[in-house]
Amino acid sequence: MKYVIAQSAEEALKALKDAEGRGTIIAGGTDVMVELHEGERTAEVLVDITKAADLRGIRIDGKEIVIGSAATLSEIASDPIVRQYYPSLCKGTGSVGSLQIRNTGTLVGNIVTAQPAADGAMSVAPLNPVIVVRTFDGEKRLKISDMYVGFGKTALDTSKELVTEIRIPVPEKDEKASFVRLELRKSLSLPMLNAAAMVKYSENKVVWARITMGPVGVGPTRAAAAEEWLKGKELTEENMAEAGRLALKDANPRSNPLRGSREYREHSLPIIIRRVLEDIKAQF
Amino acid sequence: MEKLNVTVNGKFMSVDVDPELCLADFLRDRLFLTGTKIGCGKGECGACTVIMDGKAVTSCIIPVMRAEGSVIETIEGVSDGDKLHPIQEEFINKGAIQCGFCTPGMIMSSKALLDRNNDPTADEVKEALGGNICRCTGYVKIEEAVMSAAERMRNGETSK
Repeated sequence: MKYVIAQSAEEALKALKDAEGRGTIIAGGTDVMVELHEGERTAEVLVDITKAADLRGIRIDGKEIVIGSAATLSEIASDPIVRQYYPSLCKGTGSVGSLQIRNTGTLVGNIVTAQPAADGAMSVAPLNPVIVVRTFDGEKRLKISDMYVGFGKTALDTSKELVTEIRIPVPEKDEKASFVRLELRKSLSLPMLNAAAMVKYSENKVVWARITMGPVGVGPTRAAAAEEWLKGKELTEENMAEAGRLALKDANPRSNPLRGSREYREHSLPIIIRRVLEDIKAQF
Repeated sequence: MEKLNVTVNGKFMSVDVDPELCLADFLRDRLFLTGTKIGCGKGECGACTVIMDGKAVTSCIIPVMRAEGSVIETIEGVSDGDKLHPIQEEFINKGAIQCGFCTPGMIMSSKALLDRNNDPTADEVKEALGGNICRCTGYVKIEEAVMSAAERMRNGETSK
């Protein structure tokens, strides 16, 4: 096996091209290393992007927050810009794995591994992020919903494509977000359920709401029926509870021996959705 | 084989390594620093925790080449010869050790915390140690040991 330490996005793409399909990008490696070790993945060339200066860091660019694909979950969770605009993203990225995992793992990795209950991915999903991907021929900009093709299956070909950054619009004053997880234990445990939302709320009326939830489908799943129903309504206890019930229309949870049966998850999901909305309301 | 330049416990070295190794295997099998333990091999138990560039990481899932240019501290580098670090002494004083397998990882996670914050809250200690699993003592005595070591470090004590 060959290990390439790319100093830039350009170098990383060149290394992928030279590997002719037998290479893969590795950022934190907290999943890739385990998969390689257990034989679930093979790669002849690992292209490490953690030292690529143009892929690191978090910055404001005009009206967007830009998070580099090599920025670690710990860096995001404690970043002053992220904390100012999206405390829910700090909470979500700060909930992944353990401190040791967050010190190496990345938010982009948390999306690319495509697990349906990934806390980092869930917390960023309703913020309308744009995922910037470089390929050999150019660049494409994807929505979060474009990133998932199945359980644990990313739409990205990591032997040919490289996420360079995530761009998140800076929220307007009347837009707030939230992230909630239902957990067995805080560290080193996927949640039983998690959910996130962003709401534009003006003159006590919901202008729009984006609600995502997991693990109830492929990737962070939109609660479309609840979002539609909430439009034009006030965030009252009754309305938030009804939105929670409506979220079930778009949810298809599976039974998990460790993290709850389908029935338990269906019973709890409306409560988690209600809590996400309550948390948003409390911010206005 | 690839060339790795790394500083381990204050000693710079330039060595040829197999890039398929994880950092924990390199530390244990090449440098014979066997204080770093491998429990789960998946980054889920924290026994292999070392400090890399000031941050606690699980060395069993860190590719060895990731350590290029970095500064690594392992449990062997915490004491000054026979003079133990306050964290080590307080783990003993508070009875925070039983079988000892998790202890090096616990101490490295604690040290990563206390090196940048020697006045942590209970929540901060829990966050720092949340990735370290102990099957013997429970966690109360471990938390007490960290708090008590923090107090000694605030008074200027180190091992060196």
